[in-house]
Amino acid sequence: MIFSLSWKNIWRSKRRSLVVIGAIIIGVWALIFMIAFYNSFGAAFSKNAINYEYSHIQIHNPDYLIEPDIFNQIDDEEQIISLLNENPSVISYSGRRKVNGMIASSKTSIGVQIYGVDTRAESETTRLEEQLIDGTYFNKIKRNPVLISAKVADKLRVKVRSKIVITFQDMEGNITSASCRIEGIFDSKSPKINEGVIYLRKSDLNRLVGADGINEFAILLNNSEQIDEMKSTLTSVTANTVRSYKEVAPEFNLMEESSVVTKQLLTVVIMLALLFGIVNTMLMAVLERTKEIGMLRSVGMKKRSVFSMIMIETSLMGLLAGPIGLTFGYLTILWLGSTGLDLSAYSDALKEYGFDSVFYPQIKNSTYPILMSVVMFTAFSGAIYPAIKAIRLNPLEAIRKL
Amino acid sequence: MNVIEATQLVKTYNPDTIPVHAVNNVSLDIKKGEFTAIVGPSGSGKTTLLNMIGGLDTPTEGKVIVDGVEIDNLNQSELTDFRMHNIGFVFQSYNLIPVMTARENIEFIMLLQKIDKNARESRSEELMEKMGISETSKRRPSELSGGQQQRVAVARALASKPKFILADEPTANLDSQSTNSLLDIMAKMNEEENVTFVFSTHDQRVIDKAKRVITIVDGKVESDETK
Ligand SMILES: Nc1ncnc2c1ncn2[C@@H]1O[C@H](COP(=O)(O)OP(=O)(O)O)[C@@H](O)[C@H]1O
Ligand SMILES: [Mg+2]
Repeated sequence: MIFSLSWKNIWRSKRRSLVVIGAIIIGVWALIFMIAFYNSFGAAFSKNAINYEYSHIQIHNPDYLIEPDIFNQIDDEEQIISLLNENPSVISYSGRRKVNGMIASSKTSIGVQIYGVDTRAESETTRLEEQLIDGTYFNKIKRNPVLISAKVADKLRVKVRSKIVITFQDMEGNITSASCRIEGIFDSKSPKINEGVIYLRKSDLNRLVGADGINEFAILLNNSEQIDEMKSTLTSVTANTVRSYKEVAPEFNLMEESSVVTKQLLTVVIMLALLFGIVNTMLMAVLERTKEIGMLRSVGMKKRSVFSMIMIETSLMGLLAGPIGLTFGYLTILWLGSTGLDLSAYSDALKEYGFDSVFYPQIKNSTYPILMSVVMFTAFSGAIYPAIKAIRLNPLEAIRKL
Repeated sequence: MNVIEATQLVKTYNPDTIPVHAVNNVSLDIKKGEFTAIVGPSGSGKTTLLNMIGGLDTPTEGKVIVDGVEIDNLNQSELTDFRMHNIGFVFQSYNLIPVMTARENIEFIMLLQKIDKNARESRSEELMEKMGISETSKRRPSELSGGQQQRVAVARALASKPKFILADEPTANLDSQSTNSLLDIMAKMNEEENVTFVFSTHDQRVIDKAKRVITIVDGKVESDETK
């Protein structure tokens, strides 16, 4: 009976109830959109970082991780390569010689990381060739060709075919210099690579440092789900340290954590706004019905029932509006998730941080029931104060007022 | 048998500042089947007296016994229950539930009393028939005239089979024709169902229809006449 009275009460002031229901729908919908949009940032960030910088898995000599010296190399290169060549999860891999050094033009010099790479493999793993904006990819210049980023080129004030000198320690610990010629200039989606990575052919770099060998494997897999299995496969054949991109770059975990916090904050803010609206509206509804509630109490309706009446009335609106908002949200994400959201208008700033300009909003299915509970919790909380107000009304005063 | 026994009732408002003795030492007994008017000018204490008898207000002094139960001894929730089972209320401004039809309003207290559907329906149909409001059964209060609304309110009070019905100026908002027919119906129900009615008024036509008239002035009983 209370239930049907509550239901009827919702519709006595249609406009007001529709405002509450509409607010919940819009709130839920907006929340889903924001969460999904936020998720797409994370996904885009990971995707870029994997495709252009870290790959899925990296292997290093454990000593290299403590002291990144050239002689801390991967000693069982052959064994790992034969495993990688056979494994169907592996799209490509790149074995790199890495040394820290300086690059100098006639104008100035800066510190860089020098990568000696197998040019084909590197391009297949980090798409280096497609990121060239000037020059060619290791096929014109015979002697010590080098690729540098546009940013580094800018600082050094050099261009394609300019001569530069690189300086670094060789295997014996002696400082060595070599003159190289810039063959190409790239613009990587990875800010870190733009900042200070230059590429030489591995054969050239190894000749200059005086030893064969590599310091790093970067392995690209079909997808992130294969990381764990691949890691254990690799760990069983090598004593070197095998790490996923998340372990290599702790910023991923930090980002994930902060994204959880951000999404929770978003939820709290939106739900607080809803809460405010609900409390306000229901309070109005209660005060408007002062006399009626007084009458109900007079003729024998218990406080408990009056309380429930207001609680049910509010909850019903949440129950009605929640699923509609969720459905809108779901459909929006379904649509945007496949077409993508083009933010090219803002892409200059985004590119700086290694983002693509098209985002694909996405949300886990498990988020929907959580949001529904949050909405119900909000509606419920919003009803408590008005419901208390309703039972605090003195029935006598309520009916004395004509 | 006395349905209501009020003994030395006093109600004092603002006892600490400027005390108003709205009801000042009133004792009265109401027997089963009475049709009694509480009469007096505005501000004489009629509403205050009815509210205390109806268990809506607590007296400053004195006690009220309804059907053998001293209602001042009941706690709030017991009192609410007691009102539901024993006292019918008719208010000056009808006070129907606006979102319910006439019939649903009449059945409302029976619902609170957890009376089953069949009994509710036959009772509400019977009452609507007797009170000439059958045609209003599916209409909301806003679609009814004042006279019809007040008849629905009386039917609602009757439906719960109370020990007595309290009506505070039930005709104050009605024109003279509606006033007459409401009083006739109340008198008829008083005869047919032997329901006790206590109503307040300052309308001479209503006073004329009462079988007992208790006159109150300044919170005191001035006269008590049974015709
Ligand atoms: N809540 C209240 N506080 C103070 N005085 C009140 C209150 N209710 C009624 N009174 C006073 O008590 C007296 C009796 O009022 P009431 O019982 O309403 O009279 P009636 O119903 O005969 O018009 C009046 O003087 C009125 O002003
Ligand atoms: Mg009065």
